[in-house]
Amino acid sequence: MNANALYQMVRADFLERIRRYSFLLTLAAALYLGFAVATEKVRIVLGNSYRGEYNSAWIGASMALCCSTWLSLVGFYVVKGSVQRDTDTRVGQILAATPMRKSFYTLAKTISNFAVLASMVMILMLAAVLMQLLHGEASSISVWELWAPLLLITLPAMAITAALAVLFETVPLLKSGLGNVAYFFAWTAGLAASIQLGTVEPTGLQIVFQSTRAVLSKIDASHKDAFSLTVGGERAVRTFVWNGVDWTAPLVLSRFMWIGVAVAIALVASLFFHRFDPAGESWEKNSAQPTSTEPILERAATPVSTPDTHLTPLLARRTQNRFLQLVISELHLMLKGQRWWWYAGAAGVWVGSLVAPDAGTREGFLLVAWIWPILLWSQMGAREARFATHSLIFSSERALHRQLPAVWTAGVMLALLTGAGVGFRLIMGGDLQGLIAWLTGALFVPSLALALGIWSGNSKAFEAIYTVWWYFGPLHHTPGFDFIGTTSASTNTTAYLLASATLLTAAYYGRRKKLGYA
Amino acid sequence: MKLLIENVSKHYGSGTWALRGFSLELRPGILGLLGPNGAGKTTLMSILATITRATDGKITWNDRDLATDPDALRNVLGYLPQDFGVYPNLNAVEFLEYLAAVKGLDAASSRRRIDELLNLVNLTDVRRRPLGGFSGGMKQRVGIAQALLNDPQLLIVDEPTAGLDPEERVRFRNLLSELSGERIVVLSTHIVSDVEATATDIALISKGALVAHASPEELLQQVEGKVWEWTIPSTELMAAKQKYLISSTTRRSDGVHTRVLTSQAPAAAVPVLPNLEDAYLFCLSNHRAGSAAA
Repeated sequence: MNANALYQMVRADFLERIRRYSFLLTLAAALYLGFAVATEKVRIVLGNSYRGEYNSAWIGASMALCCSTWLSLVGFYVVKGSVQRDTDTRVGQILAATPMRKSFYTLAKTISNFAVLASMVMILMLAAVLMQLLHGEASSISVWELWAPLLLITLPAMAITAALAVLFETVPLLKSGLGNVAYFFAWTAGLAASIQLGTVEPTGLQIVFQSTRAVLSKIDASHKDAFSLTVGGERAVRTFVWNGVDWTAPLVLSRFMWIGVAVAIALVASLFFHRFDPAGESWEKNSAQPTSTEPILERAATPVSTPDTHLTPLLARRTQNRFLQLVISELHLMLKGQRWWWYAGAAGVWVGSLVAPDAGTREGFLLVAWIWPILLWSQMGAREARFATHSLIFSSERALHRQLPAVWTAGVMLALLTGAGVGFRLIMGGDLQGLIAWLTGALFVPSLALALGIWSGNSKAFEAIYTVWWYFGPLHHTPGFDFIGTTSASTNTTAYLLASATLLTAAYYGRRKKLGYA
Repeated sequence: MKLLIENVSKHYGSGTWALRGFSLELRPGILGLLGPNGAGKTTLMSILATITRATDGKITWNDRDLATDPDALRNVLGYLPQDFGVYPNLNAVEFLEYLAAVKGLDAASSRRRIDELLNLVNLTDVRRRPLGGFSGGMKQRVGIAQALLNDPQLLIVDEPTAGLDPEERVRFRNLLSELSGERIVVLSTHIVSDVEATATDIALISKGALVAHASPEELLQQVEGKVWEWTIPSTELMAAKQKYLISSTTRRSDGVHTRVLTSQAPAAAVPVLPNLEDAYLFCLSNHRAGSAAA
């Protein structure tokens, strides 16, 4: 395997991705991020409410920091899935039959992931130029000052993201939805830790912070040592001129070091990579299977050369009151394969919320209760595509008007069951407002799961979006994001009921679109 | 019982016509749908199975239009797609129970039906094993079972014997013949022997158009007196291939035994009885020659 083989592998993977409609969505997301920075929806505010004058250096740094923080989260979910795609398309089996080394493959996937993320960064590089022209605070554009932060801060951060996506795809436990949830928490923890690490951290926040602090302390002796990258928070009221980071050789080298770290992560990923060995691939599936994994021989059953074709005619076959039966089947399908510890955890949360001494503890249990089934909800709407059963199900009678509502109802039942302890306490306590908020949450979560599952065709979208939503909303009581109604200030029951209805409508039309004859 | 396909066309965004003005009337019996790769067989199957909507044309099931009332057909439809998946954590019984619920069958009668079907496809012994551990052939047999769950009046099977071992293939052919009685079976395949063994009618399709629709006997009549067996030295095989339409060759110690389709017999060739593969190749060859001339 040589450089040309590596190039061809990266090229093929990159072309395969950019020719998908989802890549357009990726670029649209990048454009939106650029727009958000340009219109100060996302902004950097320093101590004493300072921001830099909109010159090339400040715009470049703002864009770079937004990218290296937000894109390291969103980008992970965008690029994760390239190894799985090779499994699904069975291209992996062809690759596995070549002399390709595992490290070569994970490195190629990392580079390909990086290429996708870099294409998003390139869009933002162009957006940075437009942003400076738009603000018009500094007339001269310095290409180096504008783009150096994106090249030296963002791209190494993207390399780490690209490699982590491959690592999460190869480590069996992290490959599934659990990895999608775990990454979000790892990302928040990493961001918090980066503040303590000085300039040796991948996002580059500290590099800009220390440089701006040095300038500000000379201008304003009373300047407070603060730095925030905020979404819709405090606005700066004072400006100062900052001419960018002094890119010394050691500093540049420290940024390149992260590319080395990314390569190292890619190599670590190769240790876990199953090389498309079906035994390795089925690890996760088999681990969830309820019975033995011993191989089944094709001729396990006694051959009968002439089949007895007698089939009892179906007399009571029709469909009028079979909805409940289908709901139970969908719920069974959802829960099938869960291990004992999943049920033990769910039961623990249920009992905990029943015996919780105060509302605060009860709320904590509800938070856990409604993140616990995330990997079950995330299958809603996406299961048919994931397991290629769509042609069997969509050719059934009333697939749209019976099976789809049954999936949603099963999801709602799951929410009600896991959160039943809290619901019971709310009823017993006569807390009508709390009960309505609880019910609204139970309707909203499966609606979100179903709509995202149908429109994205995978479980990743819900796992990523719901985790972030749950983190900022119910956990941190961010106004507008709290779908559980943890506080009366943060909840908005009407909005979430409307959102549920909208999401259900979207799910309906999404599914309708996939059916030849609706 | 009648399935009527009238001038059905299917156009894909890339500018490809998978089907063009395709018309056919189907009555109870087994229709073998034959055609080369990319002929439009699978597209036609998906349209008939209500998975894909036709761009133009009309399909009616017992005079009910599929475009306005697809459930009229879905209610009595059994469909085995060419590519389908299963839920790996479910076992065969659970998977079939789930699909029975999706098809709106009641639990009690579907349970008995599932037992019978698993016996029919020879999976009774492994009925409680997770499907994730099934081989391709076993999954295919689960697919066959699910297609028969609702006692369908229209059974559409796309490449049903793919992945089956020879014994299971024979079993499936027998099963199709037994089941065909009062239902319409559409069997799409490129394995001519499967059609030869079961079909009561044959439709030949090429480049999205219907080339021929006839009984096997009528198709065979078209090539009667035009099939010859000719033994030639292997060095002359290339030249023979350029001159004649050859349906098969077998190397033997006395040379290459060549099966030739032609009206003018080569010297020393002996006439043989035609088979369906001969008829298939003859019809396609004629169609291609006609298209090229047009």
